[in-house]
Amino acid sequence: MLRYLARRLLHTIPVLLGISFLVFLLVHLVPGDPVRVMLQDTGSPEQIERMRSQLGLDRPLHVQYASFVVRAAQGDFGRSIHTRRPVAQEIGYRMPHTVRLALAATAVAVTMGVVLGAIAAMHHQSALDYGTMVVALAGVSLPNFWFGLVLILVFSLYLRWLPPAGADTLAHLILPAVTLGTSAAAIIARLTRSSMLEVLRQDYIRTARAKGVPERRMVYRHALRNAMIPVLSMVGLQFAGLLGGAVIVETVFGWPGIGRLAVDAIFTRDIPVIQAVVLVAAVIFVFVNLLVDVLYGLVDPRIRYG
Amino acid sequence: MYRWFPVLVLAASVAMLSAGTLDTSAAPARGGTLTLVTGSDPPSLDPHRTPSVTVAHYVMYETLVTVDRNTGEFIPGLAESWEVSRDGLAITFKLRRGVKFHDGTPFNAAAVRATFDRLTSREMNAPGASWVGTLTRTEVVDDFTVRLVFSKPYAPIFSSLRISFLAILSPAAIAKMGADYGQNPVGTGPFRFKQWIPNDRIVYERNPDYAWGPSHYKNRGAAHFDQLVIRIIPDESTRVIAFERGDIDLLPAAPARDARRLMREGKFPFVQIPTTSGTYLGLNVKKAPLNDVRVRRAIGHAVNNEEVARIALEGLAVPMHSPIAPTIWGYWDGVRQFAINHDPEKARALLAEAGYRPGAGGVMTKDGKPLEFTVWTYARMTNVRIGVVLQSQLRAAGIRMNIEQMEPATLLSSTQRGEHDALVISYGWPDADILFYFFHSSRLPTTNRVHYSNARVDKLLEDGQTTVEPAKRLEVYKELQRILLAEVPWVPLASELSVNLNQPYVGDLYYDKFGNILLLDAFRTR
Repeated sequence: MLRYLARRLLHTIPVLLGISFLVFLLVHLVPGDPVRVMLQDTGSPEQIERMRSQLGLDRPLHVQYASFVVRAAQGDFGRSIHTRRPVAQEIGYRMPHTVRLALAATAVAVTMGVVLGAIAAMHHQSALDYGTMVVALAGVSLPNFWFGLVLILVFSLYLRWLPPAGADTLAHLILPAVTLGTSAAAIIARLTRSSMLEVLRQDYIRTARAKGVPERRMVYRHALRNAMIPVLSMVGLQFAGLLGGAVIVETVFGWPGIGRLAVDAIFTRDIPVIQAVVLVAAVIFVFVNLLVDVLYGLVDPRIRYG
Repeated sequence: MYRWFPVLVLAASVAMLSAGTLDTSAAPARGGTLTLVTGSDPPSLDPHRTPSVTVAHYVMYETLVTVDRNTGEFIPGLAESWEVSRDGLAITFKLRRGVKFHDGTPFNAAAVRATFDRLTSREMNAPGASWVGTLTRTEVVDDFTVRLVFSKPYAPIFSSLRISFLAILSPAAIAKMGADYGQNPVGTGPFRFKQWIPNDRIVYERNPDYAWGPSHYKNRGAAHFDQLVIRIIPDESTRVIAFERGDIDLLPAAPARDARRLMREGKFPFVQIPTTSGTYLGLNVKKAPLNDVRVRRAIGHAVNNEEVARIALEGLAVPMHSPIAPTIWGYWDGVRQFAINHDPEKARALLAEAGYRPGAGGVMTKDGKPLEFTVWTYARMTNVRIGVVLQSQLRAAGIRMNIEQMEPATLLSSTQRGEHDALVISYGWPDADILFYFFHSSRLPTTNRVHYSNARVDKLLEDGQTTVEPAKRLEVYKELQRILLAEVPWVPLASELSVNLNQPYVGDLYYDKFGNILLLDAFRTR
């Protein structure tokens, strides 16, 4: 197990290096220039040159990349070109909000998804099955910005139960978590259903039934637990994705998360922020995946690490 | 409550302005929080570290001069009076006494010098530094007298002096905070900085020591509100809903379609304020077919900018007859007689003169090539709507116009290569000097995006900067406007109005003619 972990961790190094290099390349390939965004139309050519050299953007690309890698390895991402705050601080402000939203959305997604999927599977090919699957399909198809706004209209403006924007209280978390959770729930529901159907056809389920295990107990103890293995990896992927930020939902609900930071940074060509956010997202993704793989073993004792 | 056309007030000799009287008849309630909303965080609360002016700066900083909300004239801010030297190379300010920064340190001539030295320093490389033009040094004459010295007369300085880029900062705070000053800003305004949660809110608290409000206020002492909050909500619809629910007290610059509805419903008081922005169709004068002035003029006559304002901008805009929007200093109403009016007949005649004949599908054609060009614009709702309206107007005149949407940073840097035909974008600035950046040949190919070059125009743009006497300076911009309308590097379109709404329980809320919120008199009625 430890050797497996060590090997997986070593594998992340080339992955992260590759990602950082790609991002670096992309940022420098797209048109647009952080200095011009900062100095706007009135900046003089001398001012532009001076700022470029102050920011080190006049150095050859490979030198810029090398210096980024060396400093990032020591945890130093520099300062944002746009806000002049340390990049670590920019991410630090937003990460707790992003984690909170990702956890809440995942909780919504898993609860809704597993319940709907299990109901559909147990009532295979009935109206209930088709009904829940239509709901699930609608959940994947509804665009987040539209669904979010409808929720705001209903629950914030008409019913006045929940605030439309901000991140102060638990009440602020509900609408964005439901919006994000619903689309993720749809995928989990479909996966749970097919996985459950597969499991329900297994011999050991028939055996359990024959032995007279009550239906409810059989579903929870025998079927659902085994059906959860593929679902778990999907939940892990989705959770990791959410930790990278959810731009649209963050924008609609004015949620101060990492997604908006990334998009704002892209619009202003804030190179240090873009690089850091992508790298952090990549690290999270890699580690959540690793965690999911480890959890696999706990859920399914047949899986061994070597 | 605001003026359409700013009064000419750039002082050539001396402008001494007296203080207004204090109105003690009304006693507005003290206390409460005023919450307003905006779409994005300012990059920094350090005015020397930001490319744009924002309400987040105006509530906590003050400038040497400000603008009277009733007359539009420059009135004392942190300066009590000022005098411009005969040669226009120096402005001497007498400063207000008894003013303190939020950190308790005194405001004086040394603070003004420290601020301007920092703004213009090479290390700072401030985006706002260009707005002091030819300023070479700031001299401390005595504790409360300071002199700005210029290498050449710089006429737009007064338009700049009231902008928050030129606000006076606490030298003690600058020295103490260093690079982190932007997160711990210290000014002299009626509200002082308390907290900033990025992408969520900025919180200010009442400055209890404040006692130096400009003369256009009834209340010249500390604000009535205890606290001021600027909420950051990026989505337009969410912003409007938060306001309608009452989470927000003040909704500035409401999105056009919601603004129309809310104005109609009549539940919320509102003002419509002209902005200093102008939207135009810029034509690349170096590239065929738009390198032919007859074609550019024909496009001008084919465009109906009254329709652009009414349809594309929901009527919340005024058509522009000049490259200079009506609210901008330097606009001249006589320009209407030179305006490129909507005249499809004339457009067709000009195209015929340029050798174009009707071709397939009604598109004008020359040498077998259809008259066609592509407009670059931002992928922003209003810009796209303007594009579509222009497209149909030009189509009626036999000109085919394509629209290509782009993200701003890409568009603004890509025009340098000169591969574009045309663009629809906006600018915003209170002084006609802004045209220097768009038409002077020294700005080729960066911000002179239409690749225009004309020696006479260069000279006029330079004179516009150095002619200090207002009447003479206006003559310069009159000629400039006539030339630009004859050569049509731009087809002026419209200048947007800003619709600001507030909750009915906010009393005595005013704006100056630039749309800045005036907060000292404002209070909560319940």
